[in-house]
Formats: sequence, C-alpha cells, structure tokens
Amino acid sequence: MGGAGGLLAHPHQHGIRSLIRVDNLLAAFAWVVVAFLIIYPLSFLVIDSFRVAGSDRFGLQNYRAFFSDAYYIGAFVKTFVLSGLVLLTTTVLGLPLAYILARYRLRGQTVFTALTILPIVLPAYAGAFAWVVFFGRFGTLNLLLMQWGIISRPINFISGLHGVVFMQAIHLLPFMVLSLLAAFTSIDPDLEEAAEVEGASGIRRFFTVTLPLCTPSYLAGAILVFLWPFTDWLTPMIFGVIDLLPSIAYINIAYHFTDVGRKYMGIVSVVLSSGVCVAAFLLLKAWVERKRYTGLSKGTTLGGRTIRPNPLVRVVSYLYMLFISALVLLIPIVLGLSGFSRRWVLTPFPQHWTLDNFRTIFTGATRLISNSFLFSGVALGIGVFFGLLMAYLIARTKALGRGGLEFVSTLMLVFPGVAVGVAYLTAFWHGIPLATHWMIMPLALFVRRMPYFQRMAHAAYQQLDPCLEEAAEVSGASKLRTFLTISLPLLLKGIFVGVIMFFIMAFQEISTAIFLYRGGWETLPVGLYLNWHRGMEFGFAAALSFMMVVIVFVMLMIAAKIGGGVLNVAWGSSGRGK
Amino acid sequence: MGFIDIRNLVKRFRTKYGEVLAADNVCLEIEKAELITLLGPSGCGKTTTLRCIAGLERPDSGDVLIDGVPMFSQGFVPPAKRGIGMVFQNYAVWPHMTVFANVAYGLKLEGVPRRTREARVREMLDIVGLAGLERRYPGQMSGGQQQRVALARALMRHPKVLLLDEPLSNLDAKLREKMRFEIRGIVSRMGMTAVYVTHDQAEAMVLSDRVAIMDQGKLVQVAKPDEIYHVPASRFVADFIGTTNIVEGQVEEILDDTGLVGLRTGLGRTLCRARNRAAVAKGEPVYLSIRPEDIEVINSTHEARDNIYTGTITERAYLGHLLYLFIRVRDTVIRAQCHPRQVGSEGEETRIYLDPAKCVILPS
Repeated sequence: MGGAGGLLAHPHQHGIRSLIRVDNLLAAFAWVVVAFLIIYPLSFLVIDSFRVAGSDRFGLQNYRAFFSDAYYIGAFVKTFVLSGLVLLTTTVLGLPLAYILARYRLRGQTVFTALTILPIVLPAYAGAFAWVVFFGRFGTLNLLLMQWGIISRPINFISGLHGVVFMQAIHLLPFMVLSLLAAFTSIDPDLEEAAEVEGASGIRRFFTVTLPLCTPSYLAGAILVFLWPFTDWLTPMIFGVIDLLPSIAYINIAYHFTDVGRKYMGIVSVVLSSGVCVAAFLLLKAWVERKRYTGLSKGTTLGGRTIRPNPLVRVVSYLYMLFISALVLLIPIVLGLSGFSRRWVLTPFPQHWTLDNFRTIFTGATRLISNSFLFSGVALGIGVFFGLLMAYLIARTKALGRGGLEFVSTLMLVFPGVAVGVAYLTAFWHGIPLATHWMIMPLALFVRRMPYFQRMAHAAYQQLDPCLEEAAEVSGASKLRTFLTISLPLLLKGIFVGVIMFFIMAFQEISTAIFLYRGGWETLPVGLYLNWHRGMEFGFAAALSFMMVVIVFVMLMIAAKIGGGVLNVAWGSSGRGK
Repeated sequence: MGFIDIRNLVKRFRTKYGEVLAADNVCLEIEKAELITLLGPSGCGKTTTLRCIAGLERPDSGDVLIDGVPMFSQGFVPPAKRGIGMVFQNYAVWPHMTVFANVAYGLKLEGVPRRTREARVREMLDIVGLAGLERRYPGQMSGGQQQRVALARALMRHPKVLLLDEPLSNLDAKLREKMRFEIRGIVSRMGMTAVYVTHDQAEAMVLSDRVAIMDQGKLVQVAKPDEIYHVPASRFVADFIGTTNIVEGQVEEILDDTGLVGLRTGLGRTLCRARNRAAVAKGEPVYLSIRPEDIEVINSTHEARDNIYTGTITERAYLGHLLYLFIRVRDTVIRAQCHPRQVGSEGEETRIYLDPAKCVILPS
C-alpha cells in the first residue's frame, strides 16, 4: 500500500525511533477506531452468517438453506434484475440529459441542472411517498384521467417492480448525470475535433470517440446506481414489493428476530448483498486502473465543446428537461399538498386545508426532531474530526498502514446501509453491549457518512500546496500549530460543503437507523416510516417529509452559497474525491 | 568544518518504476556567509539535498550539521528548530493572511511583543521594497511582490541559514534578472549563509560565491563560477554550463618542455595545455572541450600555426549581438562564436584556430 513500506525497506540509520513518530501514533489511533467501528462489526456479521442457528457451531447450513429455497433464490435474482433495470433506465434517461446540459448552450441551464440533481438530497422514501399519492391506483393522475373520461379504470402506474425501477432511477439519476456531465465537459475538445477532421461526424463521432472516452466516468456513476437496489429496502416496500434482498433482510431481522431460522436468512441476504457490492466495486476499480486512458488527454477546464442547437433540437431539449424536472418537482409539491391538508383521499387535489399536521409535529413529535439533530450533530462532530485525521494521514504523511486505512474507508462507501445496521445490531449486542446506549445511533451514522467527508477533505488537501505548510514549519511552527493556523483555515472552504452534505445525509439516513433505534431514539425518518407503517393518515408523514425536504433544501442552499454553486456541492456527495 | 556540513547524504525515493537515488552520498561543506548554489538539471537531487538541510525530508543515511550541531543522527531536529529561513519555488505565501501577518508569523511564534513586531516587519518590508503594503492580501499582488513577501518572511527571524528553492523560476525573464541582483544584495548585506537551488546557470553564475553542480544525485563539481566555466571537471559540467564543443580524442604525446599535450582528435592533431599533467597518460581516450567564443575564425589563408584547421561553413545562426558559425572539419562540426559582421556564407571554406590554453582536456 503506497509508500508505507518505504520505512521498512530502508530502515533509517536512526532505527526504530523513527517509527515512533506522531504520524504513526495518529495512524495507530485511526486503526483502533476503524477496527472497533468497522472491521469488528462487519467481520462479526460475516462470521455470524456461518453460525448454525441456535448453536455455537459454524457451517454452511444457512447458505445452503438460502440457496435451496426458491423464494430466496428468486429474491436474489430479482435484486440483480432490478439493479440492471435501474441502471438501464438511468443510462437511457441520463445520457441525453447530460449531453444537453454539457454541450448545448441553452437558457436556464443552471436551474435545470439544479433541479436534475435535487433528488440527491431528497430522501428516497420521501419521493416514494409522494409518487404513491400522485401516481397511485387512486392517485391524482388516475383520478384526473378518469374524471376527464380518458380511462375508465385506474392504470397501475407504479405498484410493483416497474414502479420501483422508475422511482429508484429518478432518485439515482443525479449520480449518473453528474458523472456523465463531468466526462462530457472534461473531454479535450481537440480529441473530438481530431475525429471530425478525420471525417467522422455527428452520431458516428459520438459513438466512436466521445462515448468511449466517457466510459470510466460512466462506470463510476454506474456503480453507485447498481449498488443502490442492494441497500434500499424501503422504496420497494412502499410500492408493494418485498421479495428483494434488502427488504427481506429488514423484514426477517426486524420482525422475526425471535424466529432464528428467518433471522439467519436475513443475515445471509445482507452478507450476500455486501458481497455483491464489494465485488462489483473491486472489479470496477481494477478495470478502471488498468485502462486509465482518460489520463492521456491533457484535460481541459474550458468545459468542453458547446454548441448552439438548431430550433428543433432546442425545443426537444427543453421538453425533455421539463419532463425530468416535473418528475422531480412533483415530490416536494405533493408532499406539501398532503402536509397542509386533511383527509385527502379519492380526490385529485386536497379539499380540506389545515396546519394540524405541523401542529402535531411541533407538539407531539418534537422528540423526532431533536433526536435527528442530536444524532446527526454528534455524528458530524466525530466525523469531521476523524475524516480530517484520515485525510491528513492519507494525503500528507507516510504513516504506516495509511493505504489500508484508505482502502477500508473506500469500501465503506459501497457497503449497504442495511448491512451496517445489521452488523451493529448483532456485534454490539452480545460481545460489546454498545447497542443499549444511544451513542450507537450517531456512531453508526458516523461510520456510514465519514468516508464521503473524508474524500472531500482529501480532495481539499490535494488542492492545498504542501509548501504552504512547510513554510510554516520552517518559520518555527509545530505540526499542530501549522495545522491550526495554516492548513485548517485554507481547507475550510473545501470541507465546509462536506460538512453540510454530511449533515444532510446523516439527517435523512434510515437504512441503518431502522435496525438500531429503540423506544425514544426515533429519528425523523424512522418516525416517518413507523407512521406510514402503522397505517396512520398520510398527512402527518407527508408533513414530516415535507419538513425534512425543506430543512435539507435550506442546508443545500447554504452550502451552494458558500461552496460556489449547486454543482460543486453535489459533487462531493457522489463520493468522488478525484 | 563548514558552517553547514553535509556528510554522506543518501536519500532514496520509491517510484512506480523502481528506486531513485535522489541524493547519492553527497558531501559538501558550506562556509559561513557564503552563498552557494546547487545547480543541475531537473531530477538531479538538488532540491532533495536542500530539503534535507531544511528538515523537510529525512535522509536514509548521512547527516547535516548546522553550526556544528547534527540535524539527524542525534535525534531529528525539526525544521522549526533549525534556525533556517526558506523561500519556496511557488512563493508559498499564505493566501488567507495579509502581508503583515505572513511576514510576522515567525516573530509571533517566538512571542515577540506586538510593538516590536510591527517595527521589525516594517523595517524588513522596507528592505525588500514592499513598504506600505502591510495590509494587502497576497491575491492582490503580482508574482514579483509575492516573492518579496516570501523573502521577507524567510529573513524575518534572522535565520542562521537561508534556503532558496528555485525562487525566481516562476517570474518572467526581466523580473528574474532584476531579482537576482536584489537577492544577492540583501543576502550579502545581512551576511547570511545561503543555499540556493536553481536549474538556471545564468542565475547560478551571477549569484554565487561557489556553484555546486549535481547530476543524478551526485555532486560532480564545486567551484567558483569562473572556474566552473573555464575548468569544468567533467564532460557533463562542460556540456551543462554554457555551450561548448566536445571532441573525442586520444592522448598522443606529452610535451614536457612546453606543458602541452598533443591529442589525436576528429579534427586532426590538437595541442592542449593540460592543467594537471599527472592526470593524463599516453594513449588514454579523452574529451576535448572548447567554448565557441574561444574559437578564432581566421580570414587570411596563409597563417601557419598549430591547431589551425580548414573546414566548410555549414550553417550561420545570427542572434543579433553575435553570430554562430557551424564549421565542418572532416566529420566534426564545430560551433564558433563570431562578431555579427563576420563574413562567410554557407558552403564557403574557412579556417579556425583553437588556442591550446583554452582547450580543456576532460576524462572520458
């Protein structure tokens, strides 16, 4: 791993003393944290999946049982199929969108870009709830179509797998668009012009030169899209699909904790999901590293080629962007309508307006809000400290094992949230009884979100010229002093966006929290889910969602203000430091 | 023992393509109040050596002594404790601090009271020609001004040693030349011991008391600028400093009475004055180096001396203030520097004279 071996390969004449450097002590501390909060619970989970139910023996029984049950095999296959379909849909939707945004000079591009990437900060479940209200069997759209006499019976727009595909595709579209956008705008115009000079024009040039050059970026976005169905358990449940790995994991573990057989089926599906995610990620990483041909072009900051499209193309482009924007905007609009209304059923639009839902939240459910802020805040505090430490170790030092730290942290990016939840639940229940203390909630959030923040901090560090720090050391400052007076103030702008995104993501986290919460620890998303699950009136959940969307949106705007544009902000969240 | 004493410094770097010896047993003594430049092509190890003096890099073995105190072997002395000032290639002026805060940084760490600090910073800014710009931020300044801030910051604590890492390479040619003299002046006025890294030979020549030339991690020659130029120690040095003609040859005879050595070269028989006669042996293959400006183009055809050769002009390169003639003698092309009005066009025959005293014999 990197240059860490340098010290070993050529021991300095002054021997072992050089190993006991502050950097190495910090690295050791980081390893302790990583071991305790990542390696221990995750390996506990994997080992536990081999435990013979109700005994202390280990074997392949659970896996054998899983793969001999047609239901589970079906779920396994179906999850893959869902991933494939979602990937296909985001590609088909995202490719033209990214191309339009990157290459055409159109008015209102910034607004459309912002709208396109909005779903990154909208919780997936909020979108799902909103779509049920609008596209559902007796949702606004069906009711309107029937009212107008276009159809006589409701059309099933979203209930079922196709709904899940559509919803997840919209939720993940920003990752795809951002990746492709980066690719399109960073291609050296010379390369395309060279193809043009050689006689390849239009479509042919796009498919033979432009698209192949985008492949590495596309794959980076594609992997995030592909992995999502292995971790999102709630969207499918809202659309009435439960035979998918993450949903099975949730149902089997959360509801059938006492049924040891089912519990282990849940654990096996979590481990399998994680295995798929990690394997897919490592394969991609190896492939991209082998084929690094984007590095060949000198790269440009000019934003690639832009064209003024002809009127027909312009109209089609606008229509397309409006279509995508409408799907996205529908989410906050519908949530708002339901949140401010009462008994909105079987009518296209609400009939009774009220503030009751919000009154209930602020009188009866303040706990949810304060918990959310507390847990996210604590997670953020630990995350910023630790993320900066990790970024420092990886970007600036030759500390032993820093390559390993980076690797583990990167793996956490792709680890399904469900797996982290289950791992924490099992590992910190018997062995180390941390799960009985509320600190487990922020700790789990910290572990899930820290890698994203660390990557941003790392990127910020890479943009910070080491000479600036060295100049301080030469001027007589200690390492700590240098960090506080030089590095930190200069990193601040870069990591501030990371701080906001960390908070937003932690704030809306549910996959992990749902496994770990106990009475009194419910967060906003958990409360939202429980409310829906208990079959309460939707208005209250919608009001909660709406409030989350507003809170998140305000934070995003603050971040955009400081971070120099919505695009920059969203960058960090897609977790691509370099 | 020098004021700075570099002893057997070895530093290896591991890269994708294997190991690179950035400093290969470098030994160098630098006198007090001396300005020495480390000169060499990029990747020769000059910056690594400088960074070892600063303590920003730790050598694999060897040591650096500053004022008699070992910096590595008896416990690592961190950069902050070495009493050095350093100017970086890209200035490394802190963008979030004003000029005043940048320059006063070290004093503040030393706990110098604010009054004194202000007075001293003002004095220093005066010296580097930035008086009145205390409140500016680096972003509002030109590259040259930023470099002055960096210099002021480095000098502020009256360091024992001033280290400069290609400080002028980011400036444009005119400014670079001006700054050379300014740095020279400030450093010698303050009586500073300075180590200056550059790949620009003109800079090294103008600035230094001594020049240390490095190649592939090794120190190849340390000498005064004129000595480096006129008596290069190796083919590399002769080639790297200025332009020269290198001709392969073999020692044919050693003429004890005149102090001359006769070589058999691609030009024919060439007499050279050997500076160190003991170093050459009969039959030994050597290189002959002679600078273009030391070659005399002879217009008259009936002069008969040793070291006169007849050749054909293959190319004229007119540079305004001088003229290069490329003259082919047998199979060897010699570059001669002439007065811009020198006659002779391409294809014409001409004669050249090589002064034996200006021919340098280099080991092969």
